[in-house]
Amino acid sequence: MNATGDFYTVQPKGAPPEMEAIRGLLAANDLELDSQVEVFVLRRQQGRIVACAGLDHYTIKCVAVADDFRGEALSLRLGSEVINLAAARGQFHLFLYSAPHNLPFFRGWGFYPVVEVPERVVLMENSPVAIERYCGSLRERRRPGTNIGGIVLNANPFTLGHRHLVEQAARVCDWLHVFVVKEDASMFSYVDRFSLVAAGVKHIHNLTLHPGSAYIISRATFPGYFLKEKAVIDHSWAAIDLLLFREYIAPALGITHRYVGTEPFDPVTKNYNAEMQHWLRHAASPAPPITVVEIPRAFIGGVPISATEVRRLLAQRDFERIAALVPATTLQLLETKFPAAVTTVQ
Amino acid sequence: MKVTKEAVAGTLESSDLLVKVAPSDKGTRDIVIRSEVIKQFGKQIRHVVTDTLDKLSVSGGSIVIEDKGALDCVIRARVQAAVLRGCGSQDLDWGSLS
Repeated sequence: MNATGDFYTVQPKGAPPEMEAIRGLLAANDLELDSQVEVFVLRRQQGRIVACAGLDHYTIKCVAVADDFRGEALSLRLGSEVINLAAARGQFHLFLYSAPHNLPFFRGWGFYPVVEVPERVVLMENSPVAIERYCGSLRERRRPGTNIGGIVLNANPFTLGHRHLVEQAARVCDWLHVFVVKEDASMFSYVDRFSLVAAGVKHIHNLTLHPGSAYIISRATFPGYFLKEKAVIDHSWAAIDLLLFREYIAPALGITHRYVGTEPFDPVTKNYNAEMQHWLRHAASPAPPITVVEIPRAFIGGVPISATEVRRLLAQRDFERIAALVPATTLQLLETKFPAAVTTVQ
Repeated sequence: MKVTKEAVAGTLESSDLLVKVAPSDKGTRDIVIRSEVIKQFGKQIRHVVTDTLDKLSVSGGSIVIEDKGALDCVIRARVQAAVLRGCGSQDLDWGSLS
């Protein structure tokens, strides 16, 4: 075996000369170059790229080894390299997607299956115990009741529409669990979004507000979600995110119903709602089905309230119209963070 | 001491091991060992890991091990490296580790 190769890294955004070779290597393995990969680990041997693995924050993507270089040794070194690269970038809890038939390959990398869309894709993580520990922490927050609701909000930012949804759901549930998407990939930071939700649902007493996690609408479980502002909507991967909710989060908390607002504007969210009916309720799964309840949007002045609309108005600094769509706490934050253009006083 | 931040040491290659440490939620010491030779050497591996952690006085942390058939001395070295990275420790009594 020729062991005189080198591992090194390249960043796609710098358009390095290797990109063509990476594309070719991926294509030979029925993979496409993922536009979200921030950095690639490459192996150059005998004058060509024979192995690659990409990293998008804490998700490993685009892993390929050339046919004639396959063998335990090289693939395990590639795995070690990408795990150590992630560590150097401050990422330790890692995820990856694999075709089901490649699962044993990534088991050798210390990754364990979390959830599978049969015959399509498996989400794996680099811990045999992390998801179970997470569910254990959720179980401590279980509440009694037969009708237990769940809502996941990005709340980017929190509007009267979100408040309406939460109030409606809380009214018909014994207890309601609300999660705020943790990923800092939206216009408003997680800290801001979480504190606005907390302020906006304070008056509801049969409700637990949970921090988000890597297992609920994150870059790992639902990469497509965070691309929507760039208008790149390809594979939504909503199935993985929804099966995770159904098979781990809902059973841990005893959630029987998931509530969601009807979506008038945002195509990603609209599609997600449709997929919800399928994956939470109808698809075959070891976990019991969850009833999905779509609650009609709240309207003000004949216009549905949505965070998308608030962000559109915010771009124009139209605080007057925003004031009708959001609670006072949200308006206050928007006015502080987005001061209107300074006008010269005559 | 307790593990205060996430850290890794080692590789996935044959005769090596990858050690991942992280703070534990409840401050307890949780050890998970996965090994290709768990049936033959599981008890011995656990003994070496526990002993190494004891000598470093590690009382809290999540320790996950992916073993690829490493020798005891390699297991000790990798566990020590991961723990020292995860505790951000500089002042170390190397004598106690022998």
